[in-house]
Amino acid sequence: MSALQSAVRSHAEAVKVSRTIDYLGLFIFFFVVCGSYHIHAMLTMGDWDFWSDWKDRRLWVTVTPIVLITFPAAVQYFLWERFRQPWGATVCVLALLFGEWINRYFNFWGWTYFPVNFVFPAILVPGAILLDTILLLSGSYLFTAVVGGMAWGLIFYPGNWPIIAPIHVPVEYNGVLMSIADIQGYNYVRTGTPEYIRMVEKGTLRTFGKDVAPVSAFFSAFMSILIYFLWHFVGRWFANVRFLKST
Amino acid sequence: MKLLKDRIAQWSMVGLLTAVAATSLYAPSASAHGEKSQAAFMRMRTIHWYDLHWSKEKVKVNDSVEISGKFHVFEGWPETVAEPDTAFLNIGIPGPVFIRKESYIGGQLVPRSVRLEIGKTYEFRVVLKARRPGDWHVHTMMNVEGGGPIIGPGKWITIEGSMGDFKNPITTLTGQTIDLENYNLENTYFWHSFWYAIGLAWIVYWVRRPTFLPRFLLVNAGRADELVSKTDKRVGLGFAAATIVIVIFAQSAANGKYPITIPLQAGTMRGMRPIDEPKSTIAVKVEDATYRVPGRAMRMKLTITNNGNAAVRLGEFYTASVRFLDSDVYKDTTGYPEDLLAEDGLEVSDNSPIAPGETRTVEVTASDAAWEVYRLSDIIYDPDSRFAGLLFFFDAEGNRVIQQVDAPLIPSFL
Repeated sequence: MSALQSAVRSHAEAVKVSRTIDYLGLFIFFFVVCGSYHIHAMLTMGDWDFWSDWKDRRLWVTVTPIVLITFPAAVQYFLWERFRQPWGATVCVLALLFGEWINRYFNFWGWTYFPVNFVFPAILVPGAILLDTILLLSGSYLFTAVVGGMAWGLIFYPGNWPIIAPIHVPVEYNGVLMSIADIQGYNYVRTGTPEYIRMVEKGTLRTFGKDVAPVSAFFSAFMSILIYFLWHFVGRWFANVRFLKST
Repeated sequence: MKLLKDRIAQWSMVGLLTAVAATSLYAPSASAHGEKSQAAFMRMRTIHWYDLHWSKEKVKVNDSVEISGKFHVFEGWPETVAEPDTAFLNIGIPGPVFIRKESYIGGQLVPRSVRLEIGKTYEFRVVLKARRPGDWHVHTMMNVEGGGPIIGPGKWITIEGSMGDFKNPITTLTGQTIDLENYNLENTYFWHSFWYAIGLAWIVYWVRRPTFLPRFLLVNAGRADELVSKTDKRVGLGFAAATIVIVIFAQSAANGKYPITIPLQAGTMRGMRPIDEPKSTIAVKVEDATYRVPGRAMRMKLTITNNGNAAVRLGEFYTASVRFLDSDVYKDTTGYPEDLLAEDGLEVSDNSPIAPGETRTVEVTASDAAWEVYRLSDIIYDPDSRFAGLLFFFDAEGNRVIQQVDAPLIPSFL
C-alpha cells in the first residue's frame, strides 16, 4: 500500500475504524487520567481522603475541591475545544474514583486490613456533572469557571453528607465524647500516622458557631474558581495541535 | 486492524506476565518495624520504657491483650529531637492486626495527642483486641511531633482463629449498637455506585455517537456548533437539575436519619498526671565511658554515693530498651523479650553492697551481642554521641532505686 492510498476501502470500514479509535482512545484516556489524577490527588489531598477521621467540616471541605478541580478544568478544555465533548470533568472524577477504589479495596483493605468503611474516598460526581453541564449550556469557559467552579466547591460537602453523617454520630467512649469516625481512627491502628498529624477542625472560624461547613465550602468554591482558571491554561497547553498542522 | 489487535493482545499479555512476576514470585513479608534503624542516641535519650508487662503471648480473635508499664521522659532529651509538647501514645504493630480499644497515661484515656513533661515518669496501659490471626511483633511506641516515632521494646504475640469472627461493637449516644467492622458499608457502596452510574450515564450519552475523529474534523472545519443539539442541551439541563435535586434530597434524608451529629474531636490533651516519685537516694557520677567496638561492650567508670538508709547493689543497666542484668542481684521474671535481655550482661568491678553514706568508684561493663544486633554501637556515628540510660539499684529486701546516667561516650577500636 502506498502512502497516498487510504487505509480503508469503504465508508463502512471507515466508520468501523473510527469507532475502534474511539474505544481505544477512551480506554487509554481513562487510564492515563486515572493514573495521573490519582497521583495528583494522593500528593495533594492525601490523608484527608484516605481516612474517615480526617473528613472534617473545615479542612477536608476546603482542600479537596480546590486541589481536585485541576484536572477537570484542563481536560474540559481539551475535550470541549477539540471535540465539543462536555464530559471532561466527569471522566476525570470517574477515572479518579476507579483508581481510588482499587487502591482502597486492594491496598488498604486487601493488604493492610483497614475496613473499607474507614478508608472510602469522597464522592465527586455531582460537582463534575455540574461543571460539565454548565460548560455545555453556556459554552463559555469564563462562565464555567465562575459558576461551575462555585458549584463544584459548594456541592462537595452536601454531596458527601449521606455517607459521612452516620460516622458523625456521637459516642461516649470510656468517659470521652467521640464521633464514630474518631473511634475508627483510634481503634484501627495506623502506626505511621500519629494522631497529631491529623489536620482537622483547625482554624479561626469559631465565631460561626457550629455552622462552619458552609463558610468553608464558600471559601473552597471561591478558590476553586481561581484554580479552574489556572488549570484551564494547563489544558490549553496540553491541547495544542501545532504538531498536527505541521504534518 | 487484525495486526493492531494482535499487537495489543501481545503487549497486554507481556504486561500481565510482568505484573504477575513482579508481585508474586518474590514478595517476602516484613516482620519488624525498623526499630534497629532508628538512631541509637534517640532511643537512649528520649523515652525510657520499663516495668513492662504483656498480659498474654497467645490469644484468640476477639480476646484482649494488655501492655502496661512506665516510661520516663529523659532529662537529657537531645536538642536534635523536638521536645514532647505534642506526643501520641501509639502501638507498633503491622497495621490493624489488633485494634486499640483503650490507652491510658496516668489513668487518663488518651485517644488524642498529649503534652509530656521532660524529667517526669508516667504510668501507661494499652488494651488491644486481637483481630487478624498470625504472629505479630507488638511494640510500645511514642510518637513525638517533630521527633518522629520513638519505639520501645517489642514482643511476639500470636493470634489464633479467623478474622471473619472479629466483632467491634460500639453503642452510640443515640442508643444504637453497631459493629464498626461493617457499619455504614452498604450505605457507602450504595452512594458511590449510584453516583458512578449517573456519571457513566452522562458519558455514555455522548460516546454512543462518534467521539473523536469525526468531531475533531468538524470542529476544525468551523462547524463545532452542529455537534451540540437542542436535545443534548435539554439532556444536560436534566442531568444538572437531577444532580441538584438528588443532592438536596439525599442530604435532607441523611439529616432526618441522623439528626444528632458532632464534629470530629481534636486538640491536644494536657495535664497528664506523672508518677509522684521520691527523689533518688543514690548519686552517680560518670567519670568516663568507652565503647569497645570489637568486644561489643560498654565500660563506665562510676562514682556512686549511697545517700539512703539501706545498703544497695547495682542490678541493672537499661538503655534503649536493652536490659543488662547482674543475675546475682536481680533476675527478670516478667517475660521481657529475650533478644533485649542480657541476663548476665552486667559486670561490676566491686558489686558488694554499698553501705549508707558510702561513696565508691567502680567499673561497670555492659556487654552483649545486643549492642550490635540492635545497632546501639552505631551511637559513635550519631550527631550527638552521648549515651544515656537508667541504673537500677536494689537493697537486700528487693527495694529498688532508679538513677539515670547521661555522659559522653568515647569509642575504642582496638
